[in-house]
Amino acid sequence: MKNRRLYNKVFALGIAGSMLVTATGCGAANDTIGGDEVKAAGRDITVTLGRQTLPNAKLPDGDTYEDNAYTRMLKEELNVNVVDEFEANGDDYDRQVSLALSSGEIPDIMKVTSKDDVKELYENDLIMDLTDLYDQYASDYLKSVYDSYDGRALDNVTFDGQMMALPGTNPDAGPSEVWIRSDWMNDLGISVDEDGDRAITIDELEKVASTFKDKNPGKAEKPVGMAFAPWLTSGDPDGTFSINSIAYALGAFPKTWMEKDGKIIYGSTQPEMKEALARIAGWFESGLVDPQLGTRTWDDITALLSNGETGVTFGTWHIPDWLLNNVRASDPKATFSSYAIEDKDGKVYCKHNDATAGYIVVSKKCKNPEVVMKIANLFYDDLVNDKDILKKYPEVAKYQKDGVDGSTRPFNIEINCSTSLLDDYSDIKKGVNGEISDAEVRTVESGEVIKSVRNYLADPEKAEVADWARYHSRMVGIELMNTLIDEGKFEWITPVFPSTTPTMETNQANLDKLEEETFIKIATGAVSVDDGFDSFVKQWNDQGGEQIISEIENSLK
Amino acid sequence: MYCSSTLSKTRNVIIYMIVLLLGLICLLPLWNIVCISLSSSAAVSANSVGFLPVDMTFIAYRKIIEDNQFWRSFGISALRVAIAWVLNTVLVVLMAYPLTRSKSEFRGRNFYMGLLIFAMLFNGGMIPSYMLVKKLGLLNSIWALILPGALPIFNVIMVMNFFKGIPKSLEEAAVIDGAGPMTVLLHVLVPCAKPCIATISLFSIVGSWNDFFSGLIYIQKPENYPIMTYIQSLNVDIQEMLKSGATNATLSSVAELSNKNLNAAKIVVAVIPLLMIYPFLQKFLITGIVMGSVKE
Repeated sequence: MKNRRLYNKVFALGIAGSMLVTATGCGAANDTIGGDEVKAAGRDITVTLGRQTLPNAKLPDGDTYEDNAYTRMLKEELNVNVVDEFEANGDDYDRQVSLALSSGEIPDIMKVTSKDDVKELYENDLIMDLTDLYDQYASDYLKSVYDSYDGRALDNVTFDGQMMALPGTNPDAGPSEVWIRSDWMNDLGISVDEDGDRAITIDELEKVASTFKDKNPGKAEKPVGMAFAPWLTSGDPDGTFSINSIAYALGAFPKTWMEKDGKIIYGSTQPEMKEALARIAGWFESGLVDPQLGTRTWDDITALLSNGETGVTFGTWHIPDWLLNNVRASDPKATFSSYAIEDKDGKVYCKHNDATAGYIVVSKKCKNPEVVMKIANLFYDDLVNDKDILKKYPEVAKYQKDGVDGSTRPFNIEINCSTSLLDDYSDIKKGVNGEISDAEVRTVESGEVIKSVRNYLADPEKAEVADWARYHSRMVGIELMNTLIDEGKFEWITPVFPSTTPTMETNQANLDKLEEETFIKIATGAVSVDDGFDSFVKQWNDQGGEQIISEIENSLK
Repeated sequence: MYCSSTLSKTRNVIIYMIVLLLGLICLLPLWNIVCISLSSSAAVSANSVGFLPVDMTFIAYRKIIEDNQFWRSFGISALRVAIAWVLNTVLVVLMAYPLTRSKSEFRGRNFYMGLLIFAMLFNGGMIPSYMLVKKLGLLNSIWALILPGALPIFNVIMVMNFFKGIPKSLEEAAVIDGAGPMTVLLHVLVPCAKPCIATISLFSIVGSWNDFFSGLIYIQKPENYPIMTYIQSLNVDIQEMLKSGATNATLSSVAELSNKNLNAAKIVVAVIPLLMIYPFLQKFLITGIVMGSVKE
């Protein structure tokens, strides 16, 4: 008897304990009345968040993700407290999301990193339909930003006609640019791009790379013409250290699903890709391409550049900020110019990015879902467009000036207009030329860039590395895109961005491996271009490629 | 006999050479890390650091001293190791002792033994363990890192075997003098089993210091990460970030962070505590493992 009572007690305690835990889990909103009433009544709303963090967010001492200038502003403006259910960096965050998902308890609001996650949450009925909230609460500006993607942004998060997430936007990043050491070109007296449209032909690229290799302006032991990463191609148009720019100029679009004559095709298996690989294989044979192609890693290529062993590389507009800055750190004379590669008709091919990256989803159990739209309005509209808000919150202004990472905002996504990159650039250009005053510059970041560019131009040789980097990323990198648009050189490709199909889930990893291995074999001459490529296409189709294509076609019907 | 002594001498020399070579192979990567940590970041990014520091500088170590998160994580790990060590040792000894009794003395022995073996061979997997820890309300606390591994079964078996190797007569003598089971354990068996206990202490200390994965799963705020989880989170893959559409600002601050010489310095500092413990426990380690592993 006595034992029995004890058991009962322990059991009850156990249940009470576990209930306590679950009760404090999701939906910890203590005071729960409709949003506006709460604000009017002066009472706080608490929402729990799942947040993807950055290990080096540069938060000032004492501030945390949960308690910083942005969250304090949120509290002041909207009376919203945030409690972080979980935080994690990068990939580790995805694991936390999966764990939360598998236990069926997700925070009120969280970021997920892929469309597939949104789909899975939708299918498990864990997240809320945001359609009405978006219509009712999202500001006109916010709506106009999403509309600038011609519906591509919101389509990505619409399932059965319901908007299931607030997507982060992903503006086009432009082409993979060819970065060439301009100080070396001057020293050697070579020039490219006679017509000044910033687009060069493949032959011109070849000429520069082979001159650099022969004349060895960096006085390296073993100069390298062009080095590429072992994976050769990239699914992103601007893939760094990839052969994308050369492939695109030959009409090949590796790792891209496209629609052609009503059918879905995969760029890597098209005949144009063979031509691109043949070109690389030819260069490899003649020694123009790195003889260690295939074993030269990302870091090794960075080392080649900073040692002055190679002076030609390929990458997105912002590599001067975080990669080429190493070159300048080892050689104060180093400068770069960037070019796009044009095809035989003088066009520069580029493809659109998927319009969204990062998604904010709201739990079905969330008591104040309208908060999502209000936070979005505050951070992606007011904070951008309302100059007074920075005066009201000098703390926030200081954050922006000091470059505290944007991930410290409650939602770690960006909601920018599709042309934001070029809009910012035109601001910067006007600022540098003195056409607009510093107060007229729209964003704090652009203001900082203008200062850096001025510093750099005042004394290029002695300028700080950071100033050098900002000058090169904006006044060289984005400037290239601007010129190409002005000159009407761009030819845009709109790929298909399918969600993961069943066969992709099981076979895609192997197909990617097959592709990368075969391409590197072809490029290094281990197999002949013709046989190697044709048998690759056959294998690719047999090992599930064909199946995937038909699945994508079905999903688009 | 006489000629075989020169033979065995040359044989010894060769064996020592081989062992020395193997030892060097193990040591050189570590030495390379030390050299990287002492080199300038320009030299590191140019891949020119081998087995001697280039442009020697202590700037990386100076930065670590200013890194609050590093020390915070260091402290969390130190506390975790201290608690886990005591808890592991006490529980293992208390578990092992009754299991060395014969079936007549301890009737449930086979049942408990089976339970242990079963739990050693099969485990619930990541998600059930996560849910258990979550429901117990341990998430985000240091106990989530300690309690799930509080009783390492492999160590229990090792200690059991060691106890069995201690002559029965010692124990009988104590019993005749009027000692109870607790006295036998604490005053006879444990003092005899010092080498073995030192060994399991080492396992427990090294294991909990080096474990980063449970931190990733059970700790939901990076500021509460133990040291190894913190260090692994610094190792960011820029290529992956590029693919997932990271912004320019994010990439810049990550590139600054994945500064290799700084990370190398962090690894060096994080390894120091273990290097300091090893020599003291080393002599026990070998006897401990050998004697604990053989039993009729």
